[in-house]
Amino acid sequence: MVVLEEPLKEIVKIQNYIDGDWVESESSEAREIINPATLKKVAEVPEGCTEDMQAAVDAAADAFPSWRKTTPLTRARYFFRLKTLLEENFETLARVCTMEHGKIIDESRGEIRRGIENVEVAAGIPSLMMGYNLEDISRGIDEILIKQPLGVFACIAPFNFPFMVPLWFMPTAVATGNTYVIKPSPWTPLSMVKLMELVDEAGFPPGVINMVNGNVAPVQEILKNPEIKGVSFVGSTHIGRDIIYKEAAATGKRVQAQCGAKNHLVVMPDADLDSTISSLLSSFFGNTGQRCLAGANLVMVGDDEDWNKKTITRIKDAASNIKIGYGLEEGIQMGPLQAEHRKKRVVGYIEKGLEEGANMILDGRNYDSSGYPEKCFLGPSMFENVTEDMTIAKDEIFGPVMSIMRVTDLDEAIQLINRSEYGNAASIFTNNGKSGRMFQYDVQCGNIGVNIGTAAPMAFFPFSGMKNSFFGDLHGQGRDAVEFFTENKVVIQRWP
Amino acid sequence: MLQTTSQLLSKHQAIEEKMADLSNSLAEKYPEQAQVFEKLAKDSLRHRDMALRAYREGVTDAFEVGFLANPLDPEDYVLQEPIGDLSEDAGTMISNMEVVIQFCIDAANNSSTLLPDVPETFMRLVKRKKRSIEKLKELA
Repeated sequence: MVVLEEPLKEIVKIQNYIDGDWVESESSEAREIINPATLKKVAEVPEGCTEDMQAAVDAAADAFPSWRKTTPLTRARYFFRLKTLLEENFETLARVCTMEHGKIIDESRGEIRRGIENVEVAAGIPSLMMGYNLEDISRGIDEILIKQPLGVFACIAPFNFPFMVPLWFMPTAVATGNTYVIKPSPWTPLSMVKLMELVDEAGFPPGVINMVNGNVAPVQEILKNPEIKGVSFVGSTHIGRDIIYKEAAATGKRVQAQCGAKNHLVVMPDADLDSTISSLLSSFFGNTGQRCLAGANLVMVGDDEDWNKKTITRIKDAASNIKIGYGLEEGIQMGPLQAEHRKKRVVGYIEKGLEEGANMILDGRNYDSSGYPEKCFLGPSMFENVTEDMTIAKDEIFGPVMSIMRVTDLDEAIQLINRSEYGNAASIFTNNGKSGRMFQYDVQCGNIGVNIGTAAPMAFFPFSGMKNSFFGDLHGQGRDAVEFFTENKVVIQRWP
Repeated sequence: MLQTTSQLLSKHQAIEEKMADLSNSLAEKYPEQAQVFEKLAKDSLRHRDMALRAYREGVTDAFEVGFLANPLDPEDYVLQEPIGDLSEDAGTMISNMEVVIQFCIDAANNSSTLLPDVPETFMRLVKRKKRSIEKLKELA
């Protein structure tokens, strides 16, 4: 099998990128970044501290007055240059992502592409940022709406999409005239190091885009620092709702906190099985289940036992054949969990499912990791006879576990979904347009898929979310992002 | 077995580059027909780039990229070295082109549930390659 060349040959000692320079952290503590497939150490990243974040915020605040006066057209041109550099380094970025996260190379390339798409959208900022006006609101008096940047923004990024998620926010924030600080996940910081190298090469003025590594201390500083006008967060509901949303809002910051999920995928008896099964496999087991749009509960509709049995058997057979191993081997279809403790957490849920009486039809604890160390690997698991009250039907597992539930009709499926505390995504597989419309109309989730297993909005649409899956008013990406990163100023003028 | 989109693209890249190498060798071996073989080589590399671009620009975590419906056996798509006279070599290249065409058809059919742009591009390549066969038949 072809193993792609690893772009990181030596252990990377990660620094912060502040005010256009690579600088050492003030923190003396560091953690090791381990490739979860090979268990080889690939980097060391500082734990970070308040002082690091303060320095970055000061640099960003200093850069803001000049950057906001830089014309939108000029700001856009920086992103054109960045886009070119990202394309030139596409494959390296994808392989670095696989090395630090474990996802397969196809998934990493998909992640890089979606990151680049956000840069492309930001390059259209001269049009996106236009305000509007109306003359003669009263005779001789005109009213104008102007969109203005606010100052320094920051993002707190998750481990599961180390490259893409910061790019949901940073390009639009910076293109609209704000300055920015990225706080990568302490588990997967390398993708952002690579991005900052390209930001530097693209020639962004010092202080406009900064990166501070670390864990808790830099986050606490983001939440309390008055210079920071807004925070974008992607992560768990507990952290997003109880810490980020509450504490940042308490200091008057804008907040968009995209949080946990428990996504239901509904299969109608009229669905095309070939394409549906392919979509289901990717949704439930792609990225090793570590994404907020991953399928979690499979809802089979109808009382046709033969159809149900046939469909589940086909899914199980296909899932059993998923090849597990290192994502830089091209034939691998599923990588490891990102870290050992994440695997233990998923195994805990599998055991909980058994305890609570679900019927396990595929045990992911038995797997072949293609010769790689087993520490972080786990195969796909499938449970049948899962009921709504079971823990595995309610909690976000964030791993390759499929819980199968049965309902009699689409109404019941929609009610089941709407009773969930989460509202991130849901999908239906059907050949019936009426069922599809009813689903999109009635389901209380922000991202809906119709014959799409992973309903991930493109860069020019907001990444939506409802209920315990989102806290804030304006989502990441699309027009929502432009609104989030700008203040609307209204001018009413009369010239006598 | 080829079971991911990435593997399909790598295999396609390998056979198009092999076709280009074989065509360039024949251009040197038969100077009077060099134009035909050089064009063939150029087309192979262009087709490689077309498929790669469709993948690179279409790949996204929004769709399914890692799970091929029916894996393909790479041993089914092996190209032969032309070692005869002009007529025989042209015949070998026709056979090789048919192998590449079959690969493109199989790749398109088995990746139809994946990135929509990739199977579409493979089928476009099939049409182009069938035109090349007509040129080779004039030499055979």
